[in-house]
Formats: sequence, C-alpha cells, structure tokens
Amino acid sequence: MKKLLALLLVGAMSLGLVACGGSNTSEPAAEASSVAVETEAATTAGTEAEAEITGENPDITAEISLWTYPVGDWGKEDAVKELIAGFNEVYPNITVDVQILDYAEGDKTVTAAIESGNAPDLIFEGPERLVANWGAKGLMVDLSDIWSTDVSAGIYDSIEAACKGTDGKYYEYPVCMTAHCMAINRDLFEAAGALQYIDEETRTWSTEDFQKAVEALVAYGHTNAGAVFCRDQGGDQGTRALVNNLYGGTFTNAEHTEYTANSEENIKALELLKSMEGINFDASLVGGDEIKLFSQGVLGMAFCWNVGAEKGEDGQSAQFDILPMAFPSDGTPALQGGIWGFGIFDNKDANRIEAAKVFIQYMTQDDVDYAKAVETSTYWPVREISIYEGDEIMTEYGKFMQYMGDYYQVVPGWAEARTAWWNMLQKVGGGTDVKTAVEEFVTTANAAAAAATAQ
Amino acid sequence: MKITRNKVYKFISVVIILIFAFLFTFPLYWIITGAFKPYEAINSLTPEWWPSEWVTTHFEKLMSNRKAPLWELHIPFGSFFSENGKPIVFWEGPEAPAAIRWLINTVFMAVTAMLLTCVTAAMAGYALAKKRFVGRTVLFTLIVCAMALPKQVILIPLVREMSDLNLYNTIWSVIFPAVGWPFGVFLIKQFSEGIPGEILESARIDGAGEIKTFINIVFPMIKPGVGALAIFTFINTWNDYFMQLIMLVNSEVWTISLGIAKLQGEYSTDYGLLMAGATMAAIPIITVFIIFQKYFTKGITMGAVKG
Amino acid sequence: MTNQVYTKRSRALVRRETTAAYLFLLPSLFFFVVFVIYPMIMCIYTSFFDSTMGREDIFIGFTNYVNLFQDEIFLGALKNTTIIVVVSVPAVCAFSLWVASVIYDMKGAACSAFRCIFYLPVVTGSVAVTVVWKWMYNNYYGILNYVGTKTGILDTNINWLGDSRFALWCIILILFTTSVGQPIVLYVSALGNVDNSLVEAAQVDGATRFQLFWKIKWPQIMPTTLYILVITTINSFQCFALIQLLTSGGPQHSTDTIMYYIYYMAFTLYKYGYANAMGVILAIIIAVLSAIQFKLAQSNT
Repeated sequence: MKKLLALLLVGAMSLGLVACGGSNTSEPAAEASSVAVETEAATTAGTEAEAEITGENPDITAEISLWTYPVGDWGKEDAVKELIAGFNEVYPNITVDVQILDYAEGDKTVTAAIESGNAPDLIFEGPERLVANWGAKGLMVDLSDIWSTDVSAGIYDSIEAACKGTDGKYYEYPVCMTAHCMAINRDLFEAAGALQYIDEETRTWSTEDFQKAVEALVAYGHTNAGAVFCRDQGGDQGTRALVNNLYGGTFTNAEHTEYTANSEENIKALELLKSMEGINFDASLVGGDEIKLFSQGVLGMAFCWNVGAEKGEDGQSAQFDILPMAFPSDGTPALQGGIWGFGIFDNKDANRIEAAKVFIQYMTQDDVDYAKAVETSTYWPVREISIYEGDEIMTEYGKFMQYMGDYYQVVPGWAEARTAWWNMLQKVGGGTDVKTAVEEFVTTANAAAAAATAQ
Repeated sequence: MKITRNKVYKFISVVIILIFAFLFTFPLYWIITGAFKPYEAINSLTPEWWPSEWVTTHFEKLMSNRKAPLWELHIPFGSFFSENGKPIVFWEGPEAPAAIRWLINTVFMAVTAMLLTCVTAAMAGYALAKKRFVGRTVLFTLIVCAMALPKQVILIPLVREMSDLNLYNTIWSVIFPAVGWPFGVFLIKQFSEGIPGEILESARIDGAGEIKTFINIVFPMIKPGVGALAIFTFINTWNDYFMQLIMLVNSEVWTISLGIAKLQGEYSTDYGLLMAGATMAAIPIITVFIIFQKYFTKGITMGAVKG
Repeated sequence: MTNQVYTKRSRALVRRETTAAYLFLLPSLFFFVVFVIYPMIMCIYTSFFDSTMGREDIFIGFTNYVNLFQDEIFLGALKNTTIIVVVSVPAVCAFSLWVASVIYDMKGAACSAFRCIFYLPVVTGSVAVTVVWKWMYNNYYGILNYVGTKTGILDTNINWLGDSRFALWCIILILFTTSVGQPIVLYVSALGNVDNSLVEAAQVDGATRFQLFWKIKWPQIMPTTLYILVITTINSFQCFALIQLLTSGGPQHSTDTIMYYIYYMAFTLYKYGYANAMGVILAIIIAVLSAIQFKLAQSNT
C-alpha cells in the first residue's frame, strides 16, 4: 500500500513538473527533446549549407529582428514586409522579423525588452530615442563605419549633427525627415471669414492673425477652434512648436544643455493660449486624437500635423480642404524637424550586428532602394536623390522645409523632460499660474538633463 | 398599510433596478451597434441610436490589419536549445487575420491558467485545511498577505525572471504568474474547512490512500468551490491586461484585449475599428457565459464556508 | 513504556502527515514561490539601489524610501488609490446586496435575467468596456455630453476625462459597473441558502422586514460578504487598464494610482529602484489590509 502511495505521489509530482514548463528541474524531459532538436538542427544546417553555395551573398546567415515605430507606412506591416522581401532577394540568408510599435506604448515595450535582454537588433525611430536616450545609455552600436561611406557624405549636416551622440559616436543612420507643421480646415476658415488672416502663398501667419482667426471661428460658432492636447507625450512636438513660435521663444538653449521654456516669450505665449476662447487645453487627448478630431471636422485646426498625416488615413478621410500652415509667428517660423532612421541595439552578437548593418546599407546606400525606403515613410530623403517628381502634395509640403528650426530633442534626459512638458500643460490648463508651472517644468527637465549627463 | 408600503418599496426598487439594468446593458449595446455603424455615423455629433445602415467595413479593416499564423505549436522547452533562445516551432497553422489568432491565444491562456490553478489550488487548499504540519500557520499567513498583491509591485523582477526562463514574450509568462497567485489556495482552503474530519478519518481506517481519499471523497465535496475558482480564474486571466501588456511583444502572441488596446494606440479614436475589436473580444465569452449561465450563477454558494 | 510507543507512533504519524501535506502543496507552492515570492524578494532587494537602465546599480540604502515620502505625486497616488478602494468596495457591496435582495424575490426567469445583465460588463472584458466608455465620455461627440446637454442637465460639454474634478469619478464609475456582477450572483445564491425555518419563526414572532434582514439573514450571509469584500478589494487595487487606457494618470495626476505610477516610474522614467520601493510600500499596505480583513473574518464566524 505504502509503495503504491509513493508511486502515485511520484507520478503526481512529475505531472506537476511537466506543468511547470520553464523550470530547470525537468532534466529528463529536456534531454529527451534535445535529441529531437539536435537532429532538426542538423537538417537545417544542411539546407543552409546548400544556400551558402547558391546564395548571392554567402557571408552572413542570421536571424534579426526589426522594430519600427509608425513612421508613415513603416508602421504598416505589409509595406515593411515588402521592403524586406526586396532585401531578401539579395540577402536570402538574413531573416528579418518585423514588429510594429505604436507611439502610445512603444517606448514601454522597448524598455521591457531591454530590461529582459530581448531588445531588437534594429530599431526605426528618431534621434530623441536612438541617440539621446538609448544611445546615451550605451545600449546602441556605433554606426561610424556606415557613416564613412561616400554616399553618407551627402547627408545634410544638420541631420548628421542630430544623429551623433555627445560622445561623438553615431547611433542613428537616418532615412527620412520632415518638418512638422500645423493645418487648418480651409472650408471652415472660408465660411468663418478667417481666410484673410493667413497668407496662402507662403503659408505663414502672424500671432495677431492667429488670434483674429480663432476669434472669427468662435464668432462663427465653431468654439472648438484648436486643442492644446496634453494627455500624454504623443505628438508633443506640435504643442512645443506652437508655444515656441508665437513670440519667438526657444525650447532649449543653443547648446542643447538647458531648457528655456521659462523665458519671457514662452510664458507670454502660454498665457495667450490660455486666455484664448476657442483654444482648449485638453488633457483627454494625445496628438493622434487631435489629428483625428481635426480630420473629422470637430477641431478647426491641428497642431500635430505633417505630410504623413495628410497622406495617411486621417488626411484622406477628411471631407474638407486641408491647408497645411506654418505655426503662427511674428518672425520667421521655426518648425520642429522630424528625423527617422535606423539604430542597432548592442545585443553582443557580432553576427547579428553585422547582418543589421547589411540591412541598413541595403536600405540606404543604393539610390533605387533608398527611394523606396523613403517613399514608404511618406517623408523626404536626407540627401539629394530624385524622388517625388510631380507629386503635388510633396511639393506643397516642401514649402515648409525652409522653415526647419533647431533640432533640440537631443538633450540628455530627454525622455523625462518630455513627460514634464505635458504635465506642465495639464497644470496650465487646470488653472495653475503659467509662471509657476513653467518654472517647475524647467526645474524638473534640467534636473533630468543633469542626471543623465552625470551618468 | 404595511403591505402597501412594502409593495411601494418593491415597485420603486424594481424601477430603479430596471434603470440600472439599462445602464449596464448600454455599453455592450453601444459596442455592438458601433461596430456596424458607418464611419460618418460614429463621428457624428448627434449619435445614431440605431444604425441607419449596417456596414462591415470595420471588421474588414480589423481582419486585414495584421496577419499571423493561426497557431504555432512549440517543442516544449525548445527555447533552451535553440540557438537564438526562441521557441522551436514544429507546426505552424495557415496565415490568418491576427485578430483570430489573438482570440485563440486568449482562450488557450485563460483555459490553461484555469485548469492549472484549479488542480494545484484544490490540492494545496485541501492540505492546508485538513492536514496538520510544520509551517502551516506561516504559509497561510503568507498566502493571505500575498493574495491582494497587485502584479505591478513585482513588475521588474518578474520581467527579468521571465527572460531568464526564456518565457518572456510567450503566453506562459502570463499563465504562470496567474497560477502562482495564491487566491485560489485561500478559496479552496476556506471551502475545505467544511469537510467533516470524521469522513476523512473513516476513509483512512478503511485503508484508502491519500490520493484516493482526495479524489473520491474530498474533491466531490469541494467541487462548488473549485467551480467558483474556475470561473474566477478564467475571467481574471482573460482580463489580466497588465501582464499581457508587459510580457507579450510580438503580435502573434497577443491576446484579444491587448490587441484592442494596441489598436487604440495606433488608431487612437477610430471607434468603429475599436468597437469591431471589442465585439470580437466580447461575443465569444458572452456566448460561453450564456450557455453555461447555470454554472456561472449556480453552486457558487459560499454558505458552506467556515471562516 | 506504553507512553513511549505512543509518542513514537504519533511522531511517525506527524511525519507522515507533514510529508503528505507538502506533497499536496508542492505544485502550488512551486508556482507561488517562483512567480510571486522570488520576484517579491528581488523587488525588496532592488529597492535599496539606485537602479536604472544601462548602468550598474548603486547601493543607496533607504534613500528611495525617504524620497518617496517627499514625492507629492506618490502621496497623491496613495490618496487616489485609497479613494478608489474606500469608495468602490462599500459601494459595490451595498449595491449588490440591495440588488440581490430585490431580484431574489422575483420569479426564476426575471431573477436570472437580471443576474445576467449585471454580469455582462464583467464578461465583456475590461479592455472592451474601457474602450467603449472612452467613446461615451468623449468631450466632443460622446453620448454622455450629448444626452446631458440635450436634456438640459449640463449647460456645456464636460471634458469628463480631461478635467481633474471628474476624471477619477469617471474611472470609479466604470470600475463599479465591472465589479458588481460577481457579488450579485453570490448574494442571490447566499440568500437562497438562508435557513427558512428561522425566517418563518421570526415572522411568526412579528419581526419587521428590517429586523428580519439584520437579525436573521445578515449573519447567515456573512461569509459571502467577506468573500465579496476580499475579491472587490483585489479588483479595486488592480484597476490598471482603466487608467492606462483612459487618462494615463492625468490630468494633473488626479487619476494616478500607485499601480500606474509604478509602471510609469519604471517604464517611462527608468527609475527601477524607486519603483520597487513603491511596490514594497504598496505590498506592505495591502498585506496589512488583507490581514485585518482576515482577522475580521475569523472573529465573525
């Protein structure tokens, strides 16, 4: 009887172990399956060997992962897979597994992946993440070797500067760029008699014109002229550009070491926005929501706009004439640029890093392939190539490139500083005195910068 | 006089409950109708109470959004031997809309977690209630204290641990912490207190072994408790959005809840698409609920519980 | 002599029982230790370090804890968490008991219909429910503002989720609708199990409806009430999806809960040690609460 009981218990125990899945205690089962795996590995090795002989590029065999933020159609799985298919025609031995991230949760997904040692090999985003954040933390691979190619010499200097870390290493290889602008509902402006306040030729307007236009919209009955969205960080470059431009303020000093949001110009701008009827500080919206509301005709203007939005679903579904505009400013508008490209996470695997570099080179070095990569992004190339010939929308938006302002999103500790920005807007919206709110923002943001620099 | 007052009270109560019932049904109604309303109606400033036109465009968009293999069967523990630490897939299903795969993942996750929890908790709860052993009080105190612990508390260590176990980004990383959560043990322990000691004693005298006693005598008596636990675990795991958010990266391993949340991140306020996703998430579980309604609502009496 | 034999046998019995007990406990303990206890220990350990991404951890003793209690946002989050638990737990218990006592008297079909209806938000799934509420709360074309302004209850549209005065209550409301389903079902069956002979005896003695409830029924459904208290507390503490999907803790941190703040601290600001210290504080609070609840349970039955 006792024996039987013991047997049963042992049985129950091993059942428990099987259920434990990842536990290390289940050696026997593990060994059994490892045999099967080995045989399988042997067969795959065989096929790989064959491929090595027949394949065009015998050098590298690797399986790499690519995570992309939704930069135009780089956020659509089908489009990216098509680009990868082109890549695989030349490099059949490099498998690229693609994951699309979103701006709402993407950063947190990457954080969890980094912390658990599962960071992707390639990532597609801008310098504020690749250089100022992950690069500064020493998680990225230096891409100087790709930057030293002849083709790379053609990349615009301002872009190059943004892709380089404070330590002089290149953590991003750029693919495309744009100037973030804003947009207005032309039909609504016309109906409200507000078209007189904008210059349709240069697409600029003064701060006073902006005020008058909003007043006209409100008088017309459209009380939701615009929204200073501030639920979270999504699309925050729009609100920053709006505030900075109104009275010619800047976001950081020229050296990108300190935040200047508490300057007189910026305080004046925030106070103006707060006082304007028709401009709501809306803590229930992020940039994406704002674009949507604009394209639905609910909001009269969008501060989080660019050519990608126009070409995307929101722009296409709008039932009215969308007129892209520079931000209202008394001087020359300074638009926030967007730069996107590849970075490589240092996963301590020389083979995968090499494969990732091969991928970047394929996408950026040859003009034909590069044009495809740029077109997928819906933005502009970072060096001179012939692209978008006769594309009306691109010509229209091309006007804004001349207003491209300083790319300041490379301050160390940027990730924390930007969260302080929308928290500050929420406070202003909630009735906190502007001066108090911006001072608090600058303190937090500068502390974050100092901490990150010290690190 | 008294009777009339009673009746008035009852009448008013019923009216109030009817109002609440309406409020509780409305979101679901809004989800399902919203999924079939055309784009313009959804974003119109005057809501459309009943769809003037039924369209399936949102579902088409949902289905064409992402693709994933319908299923992928892994070699158990394969990730420990594969070169890249990823699971070794030996059987991959046909390519299908990812939303359907999410649904399959969710069902697999909830059912597996439910079964594992019920089996382990039934055994442990019984032992805790009916056996006297060294460390019993300590263990029980630990369980009570850990019961309400939100998973956010152990977020970072858990992520690292899952990675060490090669479970990160697999559905198991959501299942195992759910099974480890000691609420089930507590619940079954409370239930098992009600088992009369004499029955166990007489079974022992009759020569029944521990296992036999457990299966033939204990289990039938704690069945309602296990039923309650099964339902509770199933729903909780289904809704355990946080763990899914943290642990699951690749769209092939997402659950339907996570899928909708991610759609929300991508398409912000495309409520038509979101409602289509929500409908897909809600309909299967509501169907199960209505079919098994009897079990959901019957037998979960806690009257038998002795604290 | 006999005594010695007895002790020996008894010891053997104790040993046998202990072994058996642990074998029964083994599978459950394995998961508990590996996926709850071990991470918890790691959490306590890391909370004494300045731990962030891409750098070795630096031991800083209790600094994280000291900083925590000077962090206004943390204290605010603590307050919000308390409000959510203190408001929603009693509200859910009282409401579900009231609904259960009304629908319990109804005919079978009506009773089960109501049970189903109140259970619907639970089975719809928290994310699906959250998303539809987000739409209904929408500032510009949400149905709540539409009905409110049309019926004249509201003068102008209210930005439900974007206004720090309303956001937390909006979240509590959703939490409430997803929490009452299970308690109602439990209470209905508990009321069905109340010993009828006692009820009848009391009625013969001329007890009022009120007395009947408090003196006869309430003590008998006490175990159910305690169970409901426990699960509702757990649910309230774990309302994460609502906050993450609707408000991200805003506006002005008015909907930050500790659970969300931990997530934000760890994954947006990379302050792992600090986030873990918060987790430890929360764990202590919850452990104490659970222990109190459990002590109450024991003294009551």
